[in-house]
Amino acid sequence: MSLLLAKDIVAGYGAAEQILKGASIHVEAGEIVTIIGPNGAGKSTLLKVIAGLVPAREGAILLGDDDVTRFGAVDRTRSGISFVPQERNVFGNLTIAENLEISAYRDSGEASKRIEDLYERYPMLAGKRRDLARTLSGGQRQILAMAMGLMTAPRLLLLDEPTAGLSPRAADELFDAIIALNEGGLPILMVEQHAVEALAVSTRGYVLVSGKDSAEGPGPQLAADPEIRRLFLGG
Amino acid sequence: MSILLQALLNGVMNGALIAVPAIGFTAIFAVLRYPNFAIAAYATIGAFAAWWVNVHFGAGILPALLVAFAIAGCIGVGAEETALKQLRGAGALTVAIGSIALNTVLENVVRLFFGNDLRGYDLPLVPDWRFMGLRVGPQQLQSLAFAVVIMAAVFAFLRYTRFGKAMRAVADNPDLARLKGIEPAHVAMMTIFLGAGLAGVGGVLIGLDASIDPLLGFRVLLTVFAAAVLGGLGSIPGAVVGALAIGIAEECALLVVPATYRSAVGFAAILLVLTVRPRGFFGERAN
Repeated sequence: MSLLLAKDIVAGYGAAEQILKGASIHVEAGEIVTIIGPNGAGKSTLLKVIAGLVPAREGAILLGDDDVTRFGAVDRTRSGISFVPQERNVFGNLTIAENLEISAYRDSGEASKRIEDLYERYPMLAGKRRDLARTLSGGQRQILAMAMGLMTAPRLLLLDEPTAGLSPRAADELFDAIIALNEGGLPILMVEQHAVEALAVSTRGYVLVSGKDSAEGPGPQLAADPEIRRLFLGG
Repeated sequence: MSILLQALLNGVMNGALIAVPAIGFTAIFAVLRYPNFAIAAYATIGAFAAWWVNVHFGAGILPALLVAFAIAGCIGVGAEETALKQLRGAGALTVAIGSIALNTVLENVVRLFFGNDLRGYDLPLVPDWRFMGLRVGPQQLQSLAFAVVIMAAVFAFLRYTRFGKAMRAVADNPDLARLKGIEPAHVAMMTIFLGAGLAGVGGVLIGLDASIDPLLGFRVLLTVFAAAVLGGLGSIPGAVVGALAIGIAEECALLVVPATYRSAVGFAAILLVLTVRPRGFFGERAN
C-alpha cells in the first residue's frame, strides 16, 4: 500500500477551467518524489489538491488506508499531510518563534519540544527567534517555512518549488536540508524548478504535461533521459 | 497655554475612549477583510445593556462593562451569522453596505425598546478636579483607566494567547493558517465576538462621559472609522494611535472652529490619509 495515492485527479480553479485532467501519482514510505513539467502543466495545482486547498472534481486521494478526498485543508493537516507553499509561506507579521508555535496549533502540547528540536536542527532560526518573519532573507524564509511544515509531525511533506528565487548557494543548502529530512525517514513530494538537481536527489520523478502524468521513473534516470532533458531541462 | 493643554488633555481622554471601538472595528477588518459599520449599533447596544444592569440591578461600572461586552459580542455574532455572512461571497463592498443596513435595523430595535430619550448612568455626581489650571472629571479618569486596561488586555491577548496568535495568523494569511490546522471560520466568529464586544464596551465608556441614546454609536462611527483608517486598517496599534490623533485633533480644532464642525475633523483626516498615505500609519492593506 502506498503512503499517498492520488488517482485520476481532475481539478481546476474556475467553473469551466480544468488544470488537472486525470493525473495520478503515488509516494511510498521513505521516498523523495519530484514532479517536473512545463509551466501551466498543473504541478502546483496537484500539490494544492493533495493539500486540500483546491478540491478534486474527480478522482481519489488516499493517505495510507484513509480516503481523504473530501477532507478540507484543516483535516488534511490533521491526517498528516503538511504543505509548504511556494509563496507567502510564512506569517510575515509574526515572529519566528510565533510562526513555529502557531504551526502546531492542533497539537500545542508537543510544540515546545518540537520547536527546541527545530532550533537545534536549524540554528539560524534560534538566533532570530524574536525577529519578525518578514525580515528574513529568501533562503532563511524557506527554511522557516519548511520548519513550520515539520511542526505538525507530518507523515508526508509537500514542497512547492522550495528553491524558487534563491541564490545557487541558498538552493544547495536547502536541497541539503531536504535530503537530511528524508534521511530521517520523512517522505517528501515536491515540485521544483531546478529539475536536474531535484531529480538527482529524488527516489522517483514524474513528468506532468497538460494536467496528466506522462512519464515516471527513478529520479536520476529521468534526469539523464535525453528527450526529457531536451523538453524540460534546458538541454 | 492652559487652554491648549486642556484641549490636549481632553483629546487624550476622548481618543482613549474612541480607541476601544476602533480596535474592535480594525480587528474585524483584519480577519474578515471588510469594514463592519454595524459596530456603531454594537456600541449603542453595549451602552444600553450596561445602563439596564446599572439602573435596574445597581451594577457597578465594572460588571456593567462585562455585561456590555458579552451582550454586544453575542449580538455581533448572531447578526454576522444570520445576515452578513450570507453576503461575503459577493465581496467586501457588498458586506460593508450590508453592515450599514444592519446598523440601521439594530439601532431601530434599540429605539423600539428604549425610545429616543437621553438616559444617564446611575452614578454619584462628583465635582471636577482642578490642578495647574486644568480641569478633569474623576469619571473621565476612571473611564480612561478602563480604556487603558482594556487596550492592554487586548494586546496581551493577541501577543500571548494561543487564540490571539491564531487571530493574527488568519489576519496575515488565511490560506496558510488553514494549512496549519487553524479554522478561519472559527477564528472569524471569535473575532466578531471580540470586535463587537469591544464596541459595546466603547459605547459604555462614551456614554459615561455624557448620556446615551439610540444614536450614540452612529455619532462616533465616523470618528472610529477615521481612527482606524488613520492608523492603518487592520492594524490594532494603529487604531490606538489613530484614535489618540483624532481625539487630539478634534479637541484642538474646537479652539479655532465652532463645535458643529467637530465631525469635519474625521472627514478631513480620512481625506488626508487617503491622499498622502493610503495605508495609514501602520497598515498594509488599506488602499
